[in-house]
Amino acid sequence: MTKLRFSRKTLGIPYAVFLLFFVIAPMFVILFYAFTDRNNHITFMNFVRFFSDPTKLSTIVYSIVIALITTVVCLVIAFPVAYILARSKMKKKFVILMLFVTPMWINFVLRVNAIRELFNWMGLLGETNYFNTVFGMVYDFLPFMILPLYTTIMKIDNSLYEASADLGANGFTTFTRVTLPLSMPGIMSGVTMVFLPAMTNYVVSDMLGNSMVTIIGKFIYEYFGTDWHMGSMVALVLLIVVFLSTWLSGGFKSEDTVRGANL
Amino acid sequence: MKRNIACLAAAAAILLPTLSTLSGCGSYHADIVLKVYNWAEYIDEGGEDSYEWDIILEDGGTPTEADAPSMIERFEEWYPTEHDGQTVRVEYSTFGTNEDMYNEIVLGNEYDLLCPSDYMIMKLAAEGRLEPYDEDFFDTENEKNYYVNNVSPYIYGIFEDGTVNVPDPDAPDKTEPHRWSEYAAGYMWGTTGFVYNPEYVDADELEELGWSAFTSEKYTNKITAKDNVRDTYFAALGLTYQDELLSHSPDEEGYNETLTGIFNRTEEEYSDPVRSTLLAMKKNIYGFETDTGKADMISGKIYLNYAWSGDAVYSLNEGEGDEKTPENQRIYLNYSVPKAGSNLWFDGWVMTKGIEERGKKEAAQAFVNFMSKPENAVRNSYYIGYTSAIAGEEMLDYVGYLYELEDEEEMTDENYYDLSWFFGTEAGVYADEEQRTCRQLFAQYPPLDVIHRCVVMDYFDADTSERINELWSQVKAESLDAWAIIVIVVTVVAIVLFLVFVKFGNKIDFFRRKPKKGYHEVGKE
Repeated sequence: MTKLRFSRKTLGIPYAVFLLFFVIAPMFVILFYAFTDRNNHITFMNFVRFFSDPTKLSTIVYSIVIALITTVVCLVIAFPVAYILARSKMKKKFVILMLFVTPMWINFVLRVNAIRELFNWMGLLGETNYFNTVFGMVYDFLPFMILPLYTTIMKIDNSLYEASADLGANGFTTFTRVTLPLSMPGIMSGVTMVFLPAMTNYVVSDMLGNSMVTIIGKFIYEYFGTDWHMGSMVALVLLIVVFLSTWLSGGFKSEDTVRGANL
Repeated sequence: MKRNIACLAAAAAILLPTLSTLSGCGSYHADIVLKVYNWAEYIDEGGEDSYEWDIILEDGGTPTEADAPSMIERFEEWYPTEHDGQTVRVEYSTFGTNEDMYNEIVLGNEYDLLCPSDYMIMKLAAEGRLEPYDEDFFDTENEKNYYVNNVSPYIYGIFEDGTVNVPDPDAPDKTEPHRWSEYAAGYMWGTTGFVYNPEYVDADELEELGWSAFTSEKYTNKITAKDNVRDTYFAALGLTYQDELLSHSPDEEGYNETLTGIFNRTEEEYSDPVRSTLLAMKKNIYGFETDTGKADMISGKIYLNYAWSGDAVYSLNEGEGDEKTPENQRIYLNYSVPKAGSNLWFDGWVMTKGIEERGKKEAAQAFVNFMSKPENAVRNSYYIGYTSAIAGEEMLDYVGYLYELEDEEEMTDENYYDLSWFFGTEAGVYADEEQRTCRQLFAQYPPLDVIHRCVVMDYFDADTSERINELWSQVKAESLDAWAIIVIVVTVVAIVLFLVFVKFGNKIDFFRRKPKKGYHEVGKE
């Protein structure tokens, strides 16, 4: 009997099957539903209905704005934290990093509920729905921003800083010419990991915004209760937005992955 | 290549049996496997919180899990004793919304017995997805037909009066009207109305306002609506057409039918004003909710909660706390049903098409009958907190146990609460005024005048459903002025262009940083 040997090709089969069934095929299903009506006839009505309805466009614009604000706030908070943690000589900096990441280990619904109670106690619940939503999302997604930033900034070679100082650059120039360009892959992966979920995580907007804030994820959920075709169309539009933003943030470029931060 | 396939086949051969034993884990052989699909937490699941458990506790004993088995286990034990030792195993699954359940059915999941709500029963029946009950099931002569012998005549009447057009199995294009009772057996029922906090909401004022409480400035940010289209559309109908609804007198002929007509208005000419009403409501309310309203009510955060009567009873009970709760932490909430009319809803057991061929019809009907035994209905009702569709002596005793006044001197005509309309025979309890007018008893078994103004909301046909859902999604959606959209879109496009520029800018000669005079770029000689 010949020895049982697995070539690279054979080992790849399970993954290919997985991708085929759980990624490629569902996309075709979405595509099919988006362009058919309930009698399974091909139609562009869903498309027309989506883009001719100002409330739908408003919702998608709102989702993008909420996601953008969330991302920017996350970035503004996470960058200094990641920089300080990565560059300082603190002995216990790992502990601090862990403290930032620990909430990720606690059940998501529990965390959102806790914030809800907190807002309730502060009297904000039901008063500042949009602020609450953004706050909840920032709180939830912050670790996803800190981690890639931390790893990229940590990998920046210290000799670059020495060279920069040798050449007479001040702190600001060093930041704009060394730190920022070299942490770009981290920023991009952080942005992708915050921006996209922030457009769809309707649990946060429902719980903290009393279901008064509608983001695109909620839309998809509601349509899938009754009208799969329109729901698929919304999902498709979201998919296009996702593709666009991933492409723009360089998610498809392979050389970025060398830095090990692009997830 | 052949070898590869052989490898895979070998792997599959090893894996498959493991998988099948895994999935078969915990089950045992039974002659019939009955697949029941019910709402989550909608049956006595035994253990703590169950009737038996609490009865033992009350008598000073220490109950164990074995003393309080779930209703499912009881059924599995009971069935063989009635069917010559034939065994049955119930595969019990639960759903969260009618729509979830419907999608599962449409996708081809084979369940035998379902427990959808009123409109979903009609929808499933109209699509020919249901199997009618046997005629024997309704034979009152047979005392083992617990359902038909114990169901409240009032509920049964509703099921007899309601009709739905069902496609003829032989000629699918033709439909003919069938009674709901042919397809459904009642399980739980109730009304919708307002749970309110009497500390902040005056009962008379609320009665005066009715549905317009949703838009009243008095309750801005203190009232919630339901986060689902049907319930909130219904409320908005009540608000939009309140004057018209109130113009009809309860004494006039066909009062309930008139109200039913108004609360089933879905045509565009009627739904357009409802849209404006919904938008006005959205501006005034605290939020849309499905579950959080109860907790917000008990914590005092909101004063009014549009609720199903079953949930209302829960809120009222929780607010009261138990004997250990200190007086200052108790909160006494009330329930009221708008004068202009409200919703009457019910959930019922239905069998899916083809159950006869699958040989499970008898078991399914036995399940319904078993759940309809009054003592079992009491257990379920106790566990869930909703009102059972089953009447019977045990149920009346149970209502008495919950609400009857203990002092015999107080058992006066004035305190008598008539329940004959529900139990069919001369029945009633002596209860205090609060119970009779605004608390649990009132919520569970409303008086006849309230019942008289509560109506069933029909299912929406496919086109209507699409239109009303669209309306709802537009109400729920964000609305921006055109200029705001333009400004935001322009900003986003600018950001995108900026990113594109950052990404590709150095590839375009024009944007490339030119070397200073006297320098040249390395590698560009």
